[in-house]
Amino acid sequence: MTWAALGAGRRGTFLYGLVAKAVPNERRQDPTRQARAEVEIVLGQRKLLQRLVPGLMHAFIFWGFIVLLPTILMAMVAAVDGEAELPWLGRQEWFGWLADIFCVLVLVGVATAVVIRKIVRPERFRGSHLGEADFILFMIAGVVTTLLFWHASAYAVGLYPAAGPLSRAMSHAFSPDTNADRFFLWAHLVFVFTFLWYIPRSKHLHIASAAVNVWLARTRSRGRLEPLRFDLPDDELRFGVATIADLTRKEVVDAFSCTECGRCQDACPAYATGKILSPKLVIMGVRDQLFAESDEPIVGNGVPEEMIWDCVTCGACVEACPVSIEHIDHIVDLRRSRVMVDAQFPGEAEPMLRDVERAGNPWGKPQSERAAWAAELGVRILEPGDPAPDYLYWVGCAASFDERARASAEATARLLQKAGVDFAILGPREACTGDPARRMGNEYVFQAYAEQNVATLNDQGVTKIVASCPHCFNTLANEYTDFGGAYEVVHHSELLARLVQDGRLTPNTGTKPITYHDSCYLARHNDVQMEPRELVAAVGRPVEMERSGKQTFCCGAGGAHMWMEERGTPINAERVREATETGAETLAVACPFCTVMLDDGVREAGAPLRVADVSTLLAESLDA
Amino acid sequence: MNVVCFVEPGDDLSAQAVGFARSLGPVQAIGFEGAYQPAAWARSLAAREADAIVAAGSERGNEVLAHVGAILDRPVAANVTAVDGDVVTRQRWGGSLLEQARLHGSPQLLTVAPHTRPAAEIGDVETLTAEDDGSPKVLERVEESSTGVSLREAKVVIGGGRGVGSVEGFAIIEELAGLLGGAVGCSRVVTSAGWRPHTDQVGQTGTKISADLYVACGISGATQHVAGAKGAKRILAINNDPEAPILAVADYAVIGDLHEVVPAISAELRKARA
Amino acid sequence: MVLTEDSRALETKHLGFTISPHEECAVEEAVRIVEASGGEVVVLTLGPAEAEEQLRDCMAIGADRGILLETQGEEWDAQATAAAIVDAIRGEDEPFDLLLFGNESADAAGYQVGIRVAHALGIPVVTGLKKIEFGEGRARCERDVGGARDVYEAPLPALLTVLEGLNLPRYPSVPGRLRAKQKPLALTAVTPPAPQLEMLRLVVPEGQGKEAEVLGEGPAAAPRVVEVLQELGVA
Repeated sequence: MTWAALGAGRRGTFLYGLVAKAVPNERRQDPTRQARAEVEIVLGQRKLLQRLVPGLMHAFIFWGFIVLLPTILMAMVAAVDGEAELPWLGRQEWFGWLADIFCVLVLVGVATAVVIRKIVRPERFRGSHLGEADFILFMIAGVVTTLLFWHASAYAVGLYPAAGPLSRAMSHAFSPDTNADRFFLWAHLVFVFTFLWYIPRSKHLHIASAAVNVWLARTRSRGRLEPLRFDLPDDELRFGVATIADLTRKEVVDAFSCTECGRCQDACPAYATGKILSPKLVIMGVRDQLFAESDEPIVGNGVPEEMIWDCVTCGACVEACPVSIEHIDHIVDLRRSRVMVDAQFPGEAEPMLRDVERAGNPWGKPQSERAAWAAELGVRILEPGDPAPDYLYWVGCAASFDERARASAEATARLLQKAGVDFAILGPREACTGDPARRMGNEYVFQAYAEQNVATLNDQGVTKIVASCPHCFNTLANEYTDFGGAYEVVHHSELLARLVQDGRLTPNTGTKPITYHDSCYLARHNDVQMEPRELVAAVGRPVEMERSGKQTFCCGAGGAHMWMEERGTPINAERVREATETGAETLAVACPFCTVMLDDGVREAGAPLRVADVSTLLAESLDA
Repeated sequence: MNVVCFVEPGDDLSAQAVGFARSLGPVQAIGFEGAYQPAAWARSLAAREADAIVAAGSERGNEVLAHVGAILDRPVAANVTAVDGDVVTRQRWGGSLLEQARLHGSPQLLTVAPHTRPAAEIGDVETLTAEDDGSPKVLERVEESSTGVSLREAKVVIGGGRGVGSVEGFAIIEELAGLLGGAVGCSRVVTSAGWRPHTDQVGQTGTKISADLYVACGISGATQHVAGAKGAKRILAINNDPEAPILAVADYAVIGDLHEVVPAISAELRKARA
Repeated sequence: MVLTEDSRALETKHLGFTISPHEECAVEEAVRIVEASGGEVVVLTLGPAEAEEQLRDCMAIGADRGILLETQGEEWDAQATAAAIVDAIRGEDEPFDLLLFGNESADAAGYQVGIRVAHALGIPVVTGLKKIEFGEGRARCERDVGGARDVYEAPLPALLTVLEGLNLPRYPSVPGRLRAKQKPLALTAVTPPAPQLEMLRLVVPEGQGKEAEVLGEGPAAAPRVVEVLQELGVA
């Protein structure tokens, strides 16, 4: 017992040390939301229950452990003095009942787990250490079974009068002068303390770290990546994560908390379309390097290089994770080191990075042509010194330069004019927000643009921004605050929905079936789901895909993948297939990347779908 | 004005340059024998008394004339389309812009923008042997091992996309490529379908081409494909969808079924050459 | 490898607001040469103050120092540019073993400048190169001529102008960029003499638009297509 406690203590110190040595995070947190997350996610097992059967399986075991915690104290007390009992609780019959019920529930959970792992064998466990899980299940079963038997035999010898009904029923197996109670008590304690020693050395560590990890997870500005600082002395500079020495504290606790459940792997669109990226394996790779205290680079040793480039930063993994691991931070941090220090990254992204840096936009087109789309629409272009408009319409590079994305900007401008909104655009002074560079890992180029754009916006006195592109929207709203830019930012679907609601725009209702594809950067990273749907409902008959809202399936453009070609089945083809199956005629989107990717997908598949932005659909319905 | 024109025998652009030079005055065409040695050849040209020294706006023409300009310390107007006294009009940025400039001093050193004048009869060529001044000259010409034209280096690329329809469908693409001495390219859909190898793929993970002309047949113009093709100086799209995205980046278009259009072009080429 | 300890490679570009791919290849080549055999890479440009950024980018991939001949943003013709560069080179304490230029198209006077500089300094020049090999105080270089390569040789010191495709320029690392900020950069203000090729005005030629010119519909378009092919010089 002592030995187990010391072993756990030493390991605990080691683990604590890993966290303390790591780089501190810089997040804006909301303690109320953090507390709510603890209640919902930890106590309420909300994320786990996204899948009902495995969720209940775990919930039973988890709640069982909480309820049964006092029984460990009881056991330790009884070990010291067989006659003694835990004050007050030891005599409560309702506790005896509760203990019995939860013992049964835990065993039901274990049995379910065994069935899932041995008979169902879901794909998400590919790559996980199943042997370790089996041992843990065995230990859980052992703890609980020995507990039951101890209660039963203790009741039989009259030492535990408050035992529950199952214990009492089982007690008939024992004679009143048996020593079985001592045997089962010690067996129970052996199981408990062996488990205690084992926990911090296995993935079961999550039972200690998960609650901490949930507390540390983002509650505000979920789409915001933590910035790096380049104005530090040489030895303090950090360029993302090359080795474990560069990990942040949250990344370390992430690594502690991974249970290898594979829900992230199941949710990942790259994995689903034949790429090798598994968010689970990324975290496991980081964890293995961390525990081995290796000073080798993580990429190429714990985590294969190809994996970090497959990621589209959609966040499905983060949404799915029951212990609030934030995989995107790991992947982007690993990218940062490869891009900024080693200058090693997929060649096809190099032109994009150079274009962003040299031309000011990832299309490499002249900035002077940025407002070409607005020329005939009479849209006000701000000059330095002009009074600030009510709303600054941030058009974004895609809508400025891509002929398919442009339609949405034209529609939005016309709608805003019709509704009498006072807005203007920056035109050639609007440079790329830097999102593709940042997601690619080039934080340096991103910051150069962030600073430039913030200066332009602040000099112009801008306070409110409406953005068409969810990536621009995310960066302006959540990330530019780190560079002195604090603005009230709305997505164009939000503003348009409000205008419709206020009666300033009156669309004609239609009956055509329209299915709406949620952008990752709107729905998952920023909780914007209802407003685009309001617009769709106002102009047609909405039909939902199965993977919608926060469960949306990426179009494949994120993480700078707009500029990279894919191996395997393209992600956009998969999404187009799903859209076609709804039977809708129109695939509504709210993002220029989604527009282009899904339109490409529709053309390649020859699907009978029309891809259109919600602004275009709204504008058409007004004209109709 | 008496004009000296540097020509390379058999070179179409030289013939065009002679035609242009004649509009300035009587022309003495001068050629050289022996290995190409631009500095030495330029010295010979510079030694002639002339009001204007003209050459084709070819790589060698521009180079030799640049040497003449350096030797005489006079300006050179390259890729000229017109001359009016001392005002020249010349191409900039590959022809998308024209500049009018005053060319000071004498002699006027000009190279003629390619394909802006018809070829003329060159007539008598005074062939000189330039005195070797020790400057770099061509020592040998190494032929490239030709297993076909490489996609990256090809001056003409004919690309086929989903519209081609099958492996067999590429026969007409290959035919046209062969006639133009070009390479065959394709889009990612085609390589995924296994109709062409990945080495033929034009696009971001495939090859980025820098051809003078890219003919995109039955290619809708997915963003990543276009990124690989935009290095081409000119793009001709053959597609039966007038709304295909590729049309927004193409310089020329033919709307129609490529299975009819492409063979028709090949036939027309053969007719023109006969 | 011939370049001695204090030998240097000078890479120049001019009138640049952005560095062209040819120049990038030239800088990369210079950096590789000096990495292999020691020496110093100096980058020089003629341009307005903003051009400093391009010099710093070059230093980020390994150039050791920079020279900015600072203009007020006015147009410089080839002769004036070459003269300014020659002055700057003559102002250096030690001679250069190799001068590398990016080969721009003739109209932007790219290699004209190189040729003029070479004549002024009395060194051999070869232009439009896709491949360079060094050995025994000479450079063996190759230029593409449609399907074949012409081979030249020049003794060093020499001036070579190179084309994109010579090598694959490296992407600058951020530590490299941060170091580049500290590397020395000499600034000299320069004014052009009266231009000998004096720009009067720019004209957009007819027929320039963003729309694709539709040559026809169906196979009937074939004759017009062949016409265009001939105009483009590919038929």
